[in-house]
Amino acid sequence: MNNFGVIEIASTTTKNTPGWAYVPDTGPALPAALQPTNRKRAARNQPALSLSDLSAREENKIRKDLEALDRDNHRDANIAIPPRPAGSKAQNKHTPNVRKILQSQKTFANHLDDYQAMLALAESNPAAAAAMNAAQAKPSTPTAATPKSASPAPAAPSAAGASKRSAAAAKRAAAKEKQEQEKKKARPTPKPGPEPEAEAEPPRPQEQDDVEMTDANNPDAQPAPTPNTEAALQSYPRESLILPAYAKPPPQAHPGDADPLLASYIPPFPTDDELRALMTAPPLSYLEARATWGEEERRYPVRVFCAVCGYWGRVKCMKCGTRVCALECLEAHKEECVTRYGL
Amino acid sequence: MSSSRKSRAAGLPAPSTTLVLDNGADTIKAGFVTGDTTDGPRVIPNYLARDRHRKTYVGSELEKCRDFGELAFRRPVEKGFVVSWDAQKEIWDREFFDDKAPQRCDPSETRLVLAEQPNGLPALQTHCDQMVFEEFGFASYYRGIGPAFNAYQDIQAIFQTPRSPDTPVDVPAEVILLIDSGYSHTTVTPIVQGRPLHQAIRRLDVGGRLMTNYLTRLLSVRHFDMRNETFIANEMKEAVCYVSLDFKGDLEKTWKGTRGERREDYLTGAGIAKDYVLPDSHTTFHGVVREYEPGGDSSRARKAAVATEDVLTLRNERFVVPELLFSPSDIGMRQPGLADLVMQSLSALPIGLWPGLLANIVVVGGNARLSNFIQRLQMELLERVPDECVVRVARPEDPVVSTWLGAAKFAKHEHVERLAVTKQEYDEHGAGWVARKFAAGLGVDA
Repeated sequence: MNNFGVIEIASTTTKNTPGWAYVPDTGPALPAALQPTNRKRAARNQPALSLSDLSAREENKIRKDLEALDRDNHRDANIAIPPRPAGSKAQNKHTPNVRKILQSQKTFANHLDDYQAMLALAESNPAAAAAMNAAQAKPSTPTAATPKSASPAPAAPSAAGASKRSAAAAKRAAAKEKQEQEKKKARPTPKPGPEPEAEAEPPRPQEQDDVEMTDANNPDAQPAPTPNTEAALQSYPRESLILPAYAKPPPQAHPGDADPLLASYIPPFPTDDELRALMTAPPLSYLEARATWGEEERRYPVRVFCAVCGYWGRVKCMKCGTRVCALECLEAHKEECVTRYGL
Repeated sequence: MSSSRKSRAAGLPAPSTTLVLDNGADTIKAGFVTGDTTDGPRVIPNYLARDRHRKTYVGSELEKCRDFGELAFRRPVEKGFVVSWDAQKEIWDREFFDDKAPQRCDPSETRLVLAEQPNGLPALQTHCDQMVFEEFGFASYYRGIGPAFNAYQDIQAIFQTPRSPDTPVDVPAEVILLIDSGYSHTTVTPIVQGRPLHQAIRRLDVGGRLMTNYLTRLLSVRHFDMRNETFIANEMKEAVCYVSLDFKGDLEKTWKGTRGERREDYLTGAGIAKDYVLPDSHTTFHGVVREYEPGGDSSRARKAAVATEDVLTLRNERFVVPELLFSPSDIGMRQPGLADLVMQSLSALPIGLWPGLLANIVVVGGNARLSNFIQRLQMELLERVPDECVVRVARPEDPVVSTWLGAAKFAKHEHVERLAVTKQEYDEHGAGWVARKFAAGLGVDA
């Protein structure tokens, strides 16, 4: 069926347009948002598309393909646990926790959804979450904030990403504490140990806070570590307890050492405080650790391949848009070209 | 810390035997450390498999399986984390706790060191702790991030750094950048003094399973339907796939040409094409790789008629499949390739650490066995990092058991005493306390 030459475009931003539109369903929407207020020239105010934007149909197909590639079996297989051979251990009684875990039919995706729901709850009701564990959430915040303020971050977008990630990590730590507190309350015998937090958290030296305060107070006083002052202080034969300097004598001097053309640039080494902050930072969550496309990857179109033989996809099928390499593969493709809309 | 030391001193002494487990999505690596002796890891399939005669094999029972056709799997580990504990318990019971188990141990006198993937979900980690103490009843337990255990190995020996024999070996290694490319996914973990730098851990959701499934799809489109033959496709992937050092050139060599044309490279195979003889499930049960016969289809058809064997000619399938690690966007995944993943991880760290990390990149996990993997990674990284940086990429002799070997070294190191939690402590403080203690890790002081 011909869809009258209309190609749906799925972009990340949506615009209210008169008439009707496909809108990504990202959550409960307000009824007001569905009724656009400004109907003038809405179509031409659409954001520009980049090369990596795809039509909704293509995106759907890719999503389905990836889901299929992520499965263990082609068909659903329900494999029951076979009965035990003779000589196995007698079945002892399970504790309530264990029984709950063993009977759980949840998949990883279910657990991930639960976790996201918990985070969303902590976000929507932060006051309760914060009040609940004000004392415990506190120590994780400075560590998470330190790397972005103190380290010479190489590029602006990455620094922004890091701050986003670390802020989210702090939030998540709060949510986790909350969950644990609830769990503690649910336990039959809640025995609050003698300050368990003090034991679990590594000893945090006092001077770390001092360093951060000076950094926060005068961010412009020390703009960038200039090579002749900072680098000299922080170059490799330095006093560091965490990563001690190379102990052996340096290699023999060479007459070319002083040559400015041959001298190599040594980036300023992180101080012990920075290292300490990095080493004690809380883990990121599962979703934060997933790498995503940066600016660089977004800029170029992705490579496309022939759907039949795997060579470069230089030609598009005029009916369905599948890429093929040349006429021979196009003919092979046309034999089974399916043009059902929305496939 | 002091009170926990006291309670341990008051309680039982630390158990002398340690069960070291690397519970992967595809295989378990398991072995014991007693005192100074380490008995090497056994690699156990970590799944329940059912063949076409509806017989089920649990874990290492798969050795008895002859016919791998239409094997279906049930895996307790999803995305690197134990999810289905009833299946996992069955496998552990049969391997470690039953009377006739091949690696029998008594949990109440054993310490467990368990390697997990980074960035786990807290609920799943709690489940794991509860199962270990409440169901199996281990005397002492530590659950740590698998990549970080690798730091306890002699890393410079992997790089074959020239050094005098009396040089002391740093344990844990000072700085390494560890890439773990396993069955479910690939992670990049910078490690300083054995402590992972959590803010810079990044994950790419391309692993062995995705590559096997992708190969299965390609073969199903081009040759015949292999969608139910995951096991055979996996064997094929391990036998023939390689990472291309010149993707464009290799792709050009394997192209047949336009209509009517048959290019010279295509006809001769150009050293890339290989024949793969599929098992027939009657006399042969494993596939065999053969050199490509340039004679064309006619001679092979004649031969096949005599031998009745199924032969696949693999051309660009050999390198397109591992290419997913370096360019996941080829199948529409919106994730960066492995080299960009490393750069994203580094960009979360101060530049001062870059030279050390780049000069000590270790690749472990099953995918590291693909030939040319480390060369390609080094090549791509050199294009991305500043000129002055030395980039060294290496893989251990057996990348699959590398994490286990590191964890075994860790089990002998004094760090394990600081980190492990006893059953008494668990009973006293609860699962939340244990999770916090494991998450806090070693702290900073050496």
